[in-house]
Amino acid sequence: MPFTAKSGKFNAKINAVEVGTGDKKITIGGENVLPFYTFDDAIANAPKVGIEITDGGLDNEPDCIKKYYEGCTSVVDMAKKAASFEGVDFLSIRLEGGDPNGQNKSTEELIALLKEVAEAVDLPLAVCGCKNVEKDAELLDKASQALEGRNAMIMAAKEDNYKTIGASAGLAYKQIVGAESAVDINLAKQLNVLLTQLGVNGQSVVMNVGTATAGYGFEYVVSTMDRVKAAALSQSDATLQMPIVTPVASEVWAVKESVASEADMPEWGDQEERGIDMEIETAAAVLVSGSNAVILRHPESVKAISKMIKELV
Amino acid sequence: MALKGLDIFKLSPKKNCKECGSPTCMAFSMKVAQGAVSVDACPYFSEDAKAALNEATAPPMKTIKVGAGDKEMSLGGETVLFRHEKTYVSKTRYAVAICSCMDDAEIDAKLAAIPKVDYERIGERMFVEMIYLNYAPSAGAEKYLEVVKKAAALDRVLVLGCTDVEVAKQALELVKDSKPILNGATPENYAEMSAVATAAGVALGVRGADINEIYDTVAALEKAGNKNLLIDVGVNSIKDAFATAVQLRRAAIKDNDRTCGYPSIVRVGGLAQGDKHLQAALASVFTMKYGSIVVLDQMTYAEALPLYGLRQNIFTDPQKPMKVEPGIYPLNGADENSICVTTVDFALTYFVVSGELERSGVPLNLIINDAGGLSVLTSWAAGKFSAGTISKFFAEHDIEGKLKSRKLVIPGKVAVLKGELEAKLPGWEIIIAPNEAVQLVKFMKDLTA
Amino acid sequence: MTLFDVVFSGNDTVYGLTENAINDAIAQYGEDKAIAFPDTAYSLPCYYGVTGTKVGNLGELKAALGVVKTLMTREKRLNDVFMSGVATALCAEFIEVLKYMDGAAPYEAPCYGHLGDAIIRELGVPLVTGDIPGVAVILGAAPTPEEGVALVKSYQAQGILVTLVGDIIDQCAQMGYKTGANVRVIPLGKDVTSVIHVVSVAVRAALIFGNIKPGDAAGLMEYTFKRVPAFVNALGKLNPVVVACGAGAIALGFPVVTNDVETAAAVNIKVPKSLIVQPDVEKFNATSLEARDIKIKITKIDIPVAFASAFEGEIIRRGDMQIEFDGSRVDCFELVHMKEATEIEDHKIEVIGPDIDEFPVGSKQSIAYIVEVAGKSMQSDFEPVFERKFHSYLNCVEGMMHTGQRDMIRIRVSKDTFNAGFRLKHLGEVLYARVKSEFAAVVDKCQVTIYTNAEECTKLRHEVAIPAFDKRDERLNTLTDESVDVYYSCIMCQAFSPSHVCVVTPERLGLCGAVSWLDAKATNELDPQGPCQIITKEKVIDERIGEYEDVNEAVRKFSQGALDDVSLYSIIEKPMTSCGCFECICGIEPLSNGVCIANREYAGMTPIGMTFPELASMTGGGVQTPGFMGHGKHFIASKKFMKAEGGIERIVWMPKDLKEQVKDRLNATAKELYGIDNFTDMIGDETVAEDPETLLAFLQEKNHPALSMEPMM
Repeated sequence: MPFTAKSGKFNAKINAVEVGTGDKKITIGGENVLPFYTFDDAIANAPKVGIEITDGGLDNEPDCIKKYYEGCTSVVDMAKKAASFEGVDFLSIRLEGGDPNGQNKSTEELIALLKEVAEAVDLPLAVCGCKNVEKDAELLDKASQALEGRNAMIMAAKEDNYKTIGASAGLAYKQIVGAESAVDINLAKQLNVLLTQLGVNGQSVVMNVGTATAGYGFEYVVSTMDRVKAAALSQSDATLQMPIVTPVASEVWAVKESVASEADMPEWGDQEERGIDMEIETAAAVLVSGSNAVILRHPESVKAISKMIKELV
Repeated sequence: MALKGLDIFKLSPKKNCKECGSPTCMAFSMKVAQGAVSVDACPYFSEDAKAALNEATAPPMKTIKVGAGDKEMSLGGETVLFRHEKTYVSKTRYAVAICSCMDDAEIDAKLAAIPKVDYERIGERMFVEMIYLNYAPSAGAEKYLEVVKKAAALDRVLVLGCTDVEVAKQALELVKDSKPILNGATPENYAEMSAVATAAGVALGVRGADINEIYDTVAALEKAGNKNLLIDVGVNSIKDAFATAVQLRRAAIKDNDRTCGYPSIVRVGGLAQGDKHLQAALASVFTMKYGSIVVLDQMTYAEALPLYGLRQNIFTDPQKPMKVEPGIYPLNGADENSICVTTVDFALTYFVVSGELERSGVPLNLIINDAGGLSVLTSWAAGKFSAGTISKFFAEHDIEGKLKSRKLVIPGKVAVLKGELEAKLPGWEIIIAPNEAVQLVKFMKDLTA
Repeated sequence: MTLFDVVFSGNDTVYGLTENAINDAIAQYGEDKAIAFPDTAYSLPCYYGVTGTKVGNLGELKAALGVVKTLMTREKRLNDVFMSGVATALCAEFIEVLKYMDGAAPYEAPCYGHLGDAIIRELGVPLVTGDIPGVAVILGAAPTPEEGVALVKSYQAQGILVTLVGDIIDQCAQMGYKTGANVRVIPLGKDVTSVIHVVSVAVRAALIFGNIKPGDAAGLMEYTFKRVPAFVNALGKLNPVVVACGAGAIALGFPVVTNDVETAAAVNIKVPKSLIVQPDVEKFNATSLEARDIKIKITKIDIPVAFASAFEGEIIRRGDMQIEFDGSRVDCFELVHMKEATEIEDHKIEVIGPDIDEFPVGSKQSIAYIVEVAGKSMQSDFEPVFERKFHSYLNCVEGMMHTGQRDMIRIRVSKDTFNAGFRLKHLGEVLYARVKSEFAAVVDKCQVTIYTNAEECTKLRHEVAIPAFDKRDERLNTLTDESVDVYYSCIMCQAFSPSHVCVVTPERLGLCGAVSWLDAKATNELDPQGPCQIITKEKVIDERIGEYEDVNEAVRKFSQGALDDVSLYSIIEKPMTSCGCFECICGIEPLSNGVCIANREYAGMTPIGMTFPELASMTGGGVQTPGFMGHGKHFIASKKFMKAEGGIERIVWMPKDLKEQVKDRLNATAKELYGIDNFTDMIGDETVAEDPETLLAFLQEKNHPALSMEPMM
């Protein structure tokens, strides 16, 4: 008697959200099964992989990534190059220089750069803020305006600034609103509800439910994603059916396992390999937990994860 | 769980005789319900009651013990599909694969590399716990046995990947006392292979062309009385391996199909076909979704650091936060004169705070208090992180004797402790840090500028 | 003349003008001549918004005027007034668009005329977020230019967007007052028809930000009413055209405030909350804000020292102290009182009695402060919730220390803080600012009165404060599960216990001991999307164990399906789940036919055979464990404590410390329910027994009631 599988297909499904325009447009989400459960039903849209650059350009990249951008003299050059790497579905630009506790670059300067980058590439775009909620409100409001017509992901509205970013990205300029909460299903849900009440169309929202590097409280990430998907699919909770986009790069390239030099940690061996594997293994784990897109930094990570997705879907 | 503690108690003798080791029948029943002890520990339960209970409380998935002595470890025994439902029981174990088809130099190099990854992370030893030895018929039995002998010297649990009954038998002769796994049963040889495994007292890995063959073979082995099994999800394709691992686990736990309830072996090295980055991705995937043993072609620190960290996170009790060891952690080349910063021993707090402090580049002594593994506000609310506990900790650990700095930075969220701390730690200047860890870099730089 | 007559005549006048203007234009340019407002994709915005039809040339404009005519019904009903108002507004739009023919630029600085879509997108975001809390439309001439500018300035200071129409523009210019979009004071134009440009902003905001479909007039008006916080200030003599425009504003939900007492009195019809007569221009601001329900966010606390949580733990020593108010020695208290809105003047802070500088340095004095609040959603049950926050508010002031609550407060102010200029009115500022911002959802108005005369403090304490506190305690004591209509869920700890849901009832507080029914209620009111949600209790399934269909549904929803049903009053049948933060756990001790309770602090063994941590590991995690349950300490003396199994009579053992803590209340309940005196003396503790057999002997000796009760299982 052969194995009889019971189907785990759900009646509900994750929202399918289109990002970008034209030929390079991508769709994230849309599935009615758990991540990669192709044996239950076909995955409507394979998870997507984004590559991240920052306003800091080459100076801001670890040495092991710089070499992939050889010959680039500007952020725009880097954007073009990044768009050409194997496996890249979309481009993410993180405006981290805007952080008032860091370089505190002006909004005008960053938006001017963003416009140049946007003109240079035709890939779908994601814009990530500087993590300071007040500055992000201003920055992402202007970013939404600057990218009008590009259907970009604006990452992200948080509880403290969702009104500005939601109104700007979601209502005024019709972008995709990223809703960011910190590893708690109820907070994620609450933010989605608040955005919807503001008038933002739930079909234009993607979530960042919080992330961490593998080993760094990652269990909260896994359980949050597991529970969000369970609520969205098995409980048909429409307030949690937004696809999940997880920016992995900014977490991974901050921990010592990825960035400590070989000179400092000789027994750990090659630093580039450590960074790549940290990024790959973290990304693989969030994808298996339910992320519909990940944002990575190292071209080799992008290649490996995009290959993994192809194999699994 | 099928039965609640109270239901079990109703069947208990209610004598409070303590012969089972529990002080009362109620306590015993609760433990049985949790699966922490077997009902057999009670001499007074009726046989019928025991049988009924054993059936009802047995986990849907078998716990398979492998390895001997201090190397013994449990695989499987899971009761849930997601970690938030209840703690996962047996963590994923990692093996490095060696094939008898390799030349001696390669084999020696591989074996030599295995012990290199061996470190401690939050109280857990991280190392390659198993060695997977693949038998290549082309290289001959003798070569294989030689490899087995060499590998045995490393004192890891061995997995003998060998479908040749005769060779398997010989290999087991060499190492059966260390309770290796014999991963060699196929739809063709399972009867003989099972006899070999049973004779040696080792667990048997089962493989097949697809999930149906695997299922039928396991059912046949069960019928023949062998339930000391593992399931090899195969290397046909990544998609198939994932489907097999997930479907079997789900059928076991959700649909109570016990034939599916055995630990899995996933050979990610074989699946990745030499692409080491893809292998790393798959190792992560199968740690998350239901690999009991994950076999890689190599394990350097690059693969290990994220993988073991991931495993440590996933296989924790969702209600018990991870703790770090309380004490003084000098950062950025601090000495006894460097400024002191204190926080709690909740692992997540520690990682976030120490990460930001390291990024500040400011030499400092991070003093981790014993706060019961709770976060700052939780431990404060529970009275485990108060001026009293901090000053007591300072006294017990002789902080004033060990460090000369008398500046102490405390978390912004417990600013309320300042006055009381000043009173309890005379001579110390208490400085309030920002509320959020991300603000620490600038704060520390400004503070010491 | 009645309001009907005025509006209808104003409407007719404007309609006539519009018809002539369109006919003239057609005569001159022909019907195919294109017309449009510049920089908008919605031309003509108001007409397009209301009808869904775009107008691109003079012929279409003429046809549109025909549609407008159909709105101009003349029944003497309020609806006809509003529709005529809308018709007037649309006519104004037609007149205005004719000014833009052939790309003309009809407006010159400082006037803006039509505003493009880009400005609306930019202004729309702060409008949606509330950063621009309102839109004032000022029309006409103030009695004097000074008063006009003062009014504009008052709105500007509150962050309100001001638009100007008519003579007020000249008044500003005359006073040299700076206007422009960058300072959020926008002169539109001098003709009254230019008011349409702000209406056009409101309409396009609805289309862009409200996803309102063009032509959905009802949706459009609902949006402008609910989401566009605009209002009209009509200054000076009203003429029928202005009144007709005003009717249009009211139709969109924008109240009109006028100082033309005479005309208003003549048209003897009242439109409550929409047409308001305020003779005093100085009070236009307050009247308008109240009429439109606009709340101004408080971003800064006006005190001479810092305010931050970093100062919360500061201790002020005797030597550093400028003054001390000490409720343990003299009469002091703090009190929140709910009042009617009319009884409160917002932001009034009054100090009655000597200020800090009038007392000797280092002396002990009396103080009493009463914070009076009003609001549409305010409830007296929130008073203690606010009051409990005062401790934290005042401690956050640099150089200020606050301890205690109610009439047992003690406050110290440091010399440094005093020298920086801190006086008692600043204490009022802190309370005002924090209450208004933290509780903005329920507090519309707030005023603070501070008393420092010893006699007055004594009098107020006994006549006002103590009766108020007694009344509150009384309310708490009489608050029962039966006396309320709803319960609340609490899922604050789901981060740790994913499937756990607390059902908080008046007699059963959250098992962490920190969330009472009143707390949950306030949390829900202040944060409607937050962790505490209303649970109805209309469909009883089983009275005895406290099971309700609605409660089960809520639990199912909030546990994401992990739990199906719970009872409120049983620990054996479908008991409520436990998270991990419970203060206590009770569990069945079969031998004595009762339950033992262990609190978190207790480290020893219980007669059940398990310690607190062992019990916790079995009961926690949001799973139902019949026979065991986590709960708060306060719940022990509740009449609902395992009511289904017989109630508190079942308690046979608890640690000595815990017994001490709950003794008074538990004994009182036992006396009331069963007539038992000193019930706690019958309850064992660790000094009596840590095993069931010894406990049983003790209980037999004491003749504990549980022994003769029905078997629990």
